[in-house]
Amino acid sequence: MANLSLKHIYKVYPNGTKAVSDFNMQIDDKEFIVFVGPSGCGKSTMLRMIAGLEEITAGELRIGDVVVNDMEPKDRDIAMVFQNYALYPHMNIYENIAFGLRMRKIPDVKRNKQGGVVLDKAGEPVKVMRRYSKEELDEKVLGAAEVLGITDYLKKKPKEMSGGQRQRVALGRAIVREPKVMLLDEPLSNLDAKLRTQMRSEIVKLHNKLQTTFIYVTHDQVEAMTMGTRIVVMKDGYIQQVDTPKNVYQDPANKFVAGFIGTPQMNFFEGTLWRTGERVEMRFKGSECSVTASYDILGKVIPRYLDGKTPVWIGLRADDITLDTGGGRDGAAIKVKISHTEELGTETLVYGDIDLARDTFGESPTQVILKAAGFKNFQSGDVVDAVLRFENVHLFDFETEESILPRVPKYNYLTCNVREGSMELLGNKLVLPDAMQCPDGEYELLLPVDALSSGGEIEAEVLFSERADGKPLARLNMGGGTLFAPIDAKAGERVQLCVDLKQIALRRDGEEVISPMPLVNSVLGTFALDRVKAARKDGKKGGNVNEYAFVIGGNKYRAPTDVAQKMFAALSGRKAFTAQFRYEFTPYDLKISEHGLPAEVEKVLDYGTEKFAKCKVCGSDFYVCVQGDVRGTICLEPDFEKIGVTETEREIKIV
Amino acid sequence: MKKLKIKPQKLFNVAITYLIILAVCFVFLFPILWLVLASFSKTGSIYSFEGFFPAEFSLDSFKRLFTDTALYNYPRWFLNTLFIALMSSLIGTALTILTAYVMSRFRFRTRKAMMKTTLILGMFPSFMTMTAVYLMMTQFNLINQQWGLILIYSAGAPMGYLTQKGFFDTIPSSIDEAARIDGASNFRIFVRITLPLAAPMIVYTLLSSFVWPWSDFILPQLLLKNKDLYTVAVGLMSLDDSEFSRFAAGSVFIAVPIVVFYFALSKFLISGLSAGAVKQ
Amino acid sequence: MQEAQTTKVKNAFSERGRKIAAWFKGLPARTKEKFAFAREILNQGNGKVRASMLLMGMGQLLYRQWAKGILYLLVEIAFLAYFILRGADDLLGFFTLGTVESNAWYGIEGDNSVIMMLMGILAWIALLFYAVLYIANIKDCYAIQCAADTLKAPKSFKKELSELLDKKFYKTALALPIVGVSVFSILPIIFMILIAFTNYGGDIVPPALVDWVWLDNFGRILTLGQFAPTFFKIFGWNIIWAVLSTALNYFAGLGLALLLNKKCVKGKTFWRLFPILAYAVPGFITLIAFKYMFSYGGPINQMIVDAGGTAIGFLDIDAKWTARLIGLFANAWLNIPSSMLLATGILSNMNTDLYEAARVDGASAWKQFVKITLPYVLFATMPVLISQFIANFNNFGIFYFLRGGLYMEGYFLASDTDLLINWLYNMSIDNNYYSIGAAISIIIFIVTSVISLAVYVLSPSYKQEETYQ
Repeated sequence: MANLSLKHIYKVYPNGTKAVSDFNMQIDDKEFIVFVGPSGCGKSTMLRMIAGLEEITAGELRIGDVVVNDMEPKDRDIAMVFQNYALYPHMNIYENIAFGLRMRKIPDVKRNKQGGVVLDKAGEPVKVMRRYSKEELDEKVLGAAEVLGITDYLKKKPKEMSGGQRQRVALGRAIVREPKVMLLDEPLSNLDAKLRTQMRSEIVKLHNKLQTTFIYVTHDQVEAMTMGTRIVVMKDGYIQQVDTPKNVYQDPANKFVAGFIGTPQMNFFEGTLWRTGERVEMRFKGSECSVTASYDILGKVIPRYLDGKTPVWIGLRADDITLDTGGGRDGAAIKVKISHTEELGTETLVYGDIDLARDTFGESPTQVILKAAGFKNFQSGDVVDAVLRFENVHLFDFETEESILPRVPKYNYLTCNVREGSMELLGNKLVLPDAMQCPDGEYELLLPVDALSSGGEIEAEVLFSERADGKPLARLNMGGGTLFAPIDAKAGERVQLCVDLKQIALRRDGEEVISPMPLVNSVLGTFALDRVKAARKDGKKGGNVNEYAFVIGGNKYRAPTDVAQKMFAALSGRKAFTAQFRYEFTPYDLKISEHGLPAEVEKVLDYGTEKFAKCKVCGSDFYVCVQGDVRGTICLEPDFEKIGVTETEREIKIV
Repeated sequence: MKKLKIKPQKLFNVAITYLIILAVCFVFLFPILWLVLASFSKTGSIYSFEGFFPAEFSLDSFKRLFTDTALYNYPRWFLNTLFIALMSSLIGTALTILTAYVMSRFRFRTRKAMMKTTLILGMFPSFMTMTAVYLMMTQFNLINQQWGLILIYSAGAPMGYLTQKGFFDTIPSSIDEAARIDGASNFRIFVRITLPLAAPMIVYTLLSSFVWPWSDFILPQLLLKNKDLYTVAVGLMSLDDSEFSRFAAGSVFIAVPIVVFYFALSKFLISGLSAGAVKQ
Repeated sequence: MQEAQTTKVKNAFSERGRKIAAWFKGLPARTKEKFAFAREILNQGNGKVRASMLLMGMGQLLYRQWAKGILYLLVEIAFLAYFILRGADDLLGFFTLGTVESNAWYGIEGDNSVIMMLMGILAWIALLFYAVLYIANIKDCYAIQCAADTLKAPKSFKKELSELLDKKFYKTALALPIVGVSVFSILPIIFMILIAFTNYGGDIVPPALVDWVWLDNFGRILTLGQFAPTFFKIFGWNIIWAVLSTALNYFAGLGLALLLNKKCVKGKTFWRLFPILAYAVPGFITLIAFKYMFSYGGPINQMIVDAGGTAIGFLDIDAKWTARLIGLFANAWLNIPSSMLLATGILSNMNTDLYEAARVDGASAWKQFVKITLPYVLFATMPVLISQFIANFNNFGIFYFLRGGLYMEGYFLASDTDLLINWLYNMSIDNNYYSIGAAISIIIFIVTSVISLAVYVLSPSYKQEETYQ
């Protein structure tokens, strides 16, 4: 019955290893969240930090509205189920379930011997803490046992029970306290396959019944897919992707997620993409065959990968490769040499290789697994045609393994011509502001999707619209080119667009001629404590109080208490006063004022609608949104409520 | 029906095995049997034995042990020993179990240093420190005091915590964590969860820390000068050569309870001995 | 084979050497790290922390933490009182070991050097405890400062008390054991070590004044005609004894366990009772029984006489090797049961799949023992084996009970069966050669620890992992 907020959570061990890095997530009430990943990915550590069994190195963890970083597990109102059940072997089932209740006190009002409420002087009932009575215990334990169907075993000891029953007891022990959050650490991995499937659905049912937030850790992607309302895929301490099971399956953020989710594993081929007009040709390394697909399907692919040279990973699930029965679809078939098959009854898994000369055991980048319906009879060594369904193709950068076919593209990659101070973009002419003047010629244009908004003078036609990640996304046709923009419109409509020019970049010959305006200014500094005399209204001498200040370039700036508190939460003891920080401000959160950060204006950039002053602050470049013309030395007063703070030594983002 | 066929080679093997076992058992039994028989000897001197057996049997030695207390006050010694051994066993076990639990469950800065220190301290020959202990006891006025012995026995007990630690290491830490989430403090976890689970280990520790003072001879001899304060071990050593059957009877009398304990608890004994030895 | 063994030893030691070198190399950096916190407190601590440095508890009182402040203050007062009343004198006495010799004629009550040394060590330990508390006091005050400076509510006294039963339960639990071990184990050991560097013993016992003589005693043991021959003779026998008895007990115990573990043996629990019987009877009783058994009137000799032979003086003054063998036998009788029980426990934990695999491969019973059982058991029991070796090296009881109090020609206050530990006893407890005895015990310690360390470093247990964690 609570939502969780996890902000910039880190777990760094004394030897410097980071088990969890910059974990950010909002968990809503009644969600069923699954942390999934290979062993050592930090999922259990994260869960144990939520439980309070491990200390949080840095970051902020809230359960409900309360920051619980320094709270004992028992005060966090959570319950946890362990992999090995962790039942108390010497207690019977009743005592196991009741133990947590016996350890607790509940608020009550004081009563006299006759059962009447004792009132204090003000006539209010006197509040006391008391233990659960026997009747209350019975009621609660029996209630929990009934939910889980273990009423008959209450007198038994754990060792007299089967694995499935023990896990039910462990669940009972957790739910009897009616916690705000249920944490489950690989609860099913000690059970056999059949029992696991059964318990899986029982836990889902339990979640529906209890209407509590569940956080579930597993290394089994099937559990993750079937149980979670949202999945958190982790690797090496970093979140790889957070999304619903459907989205994680359909749009994996990178090759790791794509390979981890789904069985049999996705096929990955090394290959290249080459766009010619409306077709894209895919070549596979190790295979003679190449296939072509419509550019429509691959419209979101970052254009530089379509040059026929850049290697990419082409990912296709076994379901998206089918055996060709007839003549095959035009250009979508590839030859596969079969090595062996696995018959599963309703379908047959066919293992093969697209490299016809190869006959490998184990994994290779040319190996392929595909599904065929029903029973199929193949001889090892047969060569068949396999048809690829490109609607569901996944493409990843060869080096970074990030998806290059994102659900929401970040940038539009275009080319444009600059002539006499204005930019020709897909048949539209945009006047470049003073700040962006550059020599005439042809440029590559990097236009962020977010830099486009509706309501301007450029016109485009909506080809296709969808909602991705809860935001609208439209594919537009503009003067023959395609663009993505985050606008809400129906296909076929004509829309007016406006471009935020300060976000675009122009490149020529691999050199950035015009860079986007940085949205964050950063400067190094420290943090300090001042003891100041408290001002008291009655004029008496007051005691000293603490005031905190950011120290930037030798000057002190009063810090807001909540920011200070977050910094203290991240850095133990007085380390906050000795560490170095990187302070970040957006150009809009800096005001020119009488006092503040002294800045040397270098030049003023005019973007037409807005003006920005580029200045030096303590050796760092700052961009500040200004109204009129400014020059010389000015003072910038930041809005410290909106400051960003990062500790530099460990690179921990605090605010 | 299948015919039961035993190969002669196998039969020979079994026969040899049993022969060796019988021989070994005889060797282990022989001195004890002899001692028991001697305790029933009538004359009291070993010179009156005819070969292995005493010339005449009687219960005299036992009777004299408890009645003839003018010179050798056996009942008094027995009570002294019982008191010292019981107290040291209780206190020593408590300290040992606490130490082992802490070393197994907590991770604190000086932990490794402490473990190494105890290891090195254990390498010093235990009674080369006798002189110092004796001098110290004279300074603390604990010579001729039973509490002095109890103090030494129980203070030394935690040094042998490794066996118990090995046992605690086998209790999964997730049980502790579950209890912590259930709201128990570490003290409560220790009392309500760990201690009941460690019952066999506690029994083993109680027994082994009872036996040491029960049969130790050197410390009591050093620290107890008054004959009335003697423990059985010191007392029996002070017996004359001619009092052999009395010695045997006294020995049998203090050996019997321990033997009974050991037989009853032989299962704990095996698991206890190997718990400390097997690497975690 | 031998060469391989030597290279193995060499490698093990050079690895150790490299580790030690690395340890020394990292020392400055590590020390710096260790003192980083001290420096931080010195740099960052405010006036109240400094007040606590001056007088324990002051800072806490200034921060209005009354209960804790008063407790620390009381500790300070108690220690100061102790130090002024006697601690300071004790510390000084530790160095001088007394200056005033007693003289009954003039009625001068002199200094008792030995007691002064003992009390001096006690004063050092007290000083150490005080230092620990003093540092804890400063750290505590600094923690209060940190909390006050970083917007956190300082812990209440009640909360800290409840922490002693929770997060810091280890402090509560270890307090008594640590005090006990410090006073009854560490203090006597330090005392004994220090005695080895004085001339305490012989004629120089209180009321005479004892002095520091540094390494003289070791020189006397190794060179002086009085001690040196005895020392080397006993030392040689001691090594032989420790190796033989450890090996005998260990392998006989293992053999017995294997024998009783055989499938064809019925009634295992019954057969096991006999060794347990031997294990249960207190050692001194059995040893005295053995002494009588092997005496002239004992049953062994009576049987020999009955059979027509003449009685044999098994433990007579000239019965060098028979006495030694009887010692080995008696020790085996006493210790085989425990090593059998140990081996039984370990064998029951052993994975039987290995044997199945070996039998499928056609290995003989002997091969199975050498290739599977022995390595496994050795691996599992290496620490125990080492401690058994040390126990046997220092086995006082066996020859004390079998042949105690015998002094022989060619030996100085010892007999040919005596081990170093018996010699030590004879000299220090029976004959007042305290400092020589202490020096011998240091030698014993060095020998046993070097041997056990070497064995341990070479053992498979070490290569796998640190056993003693």
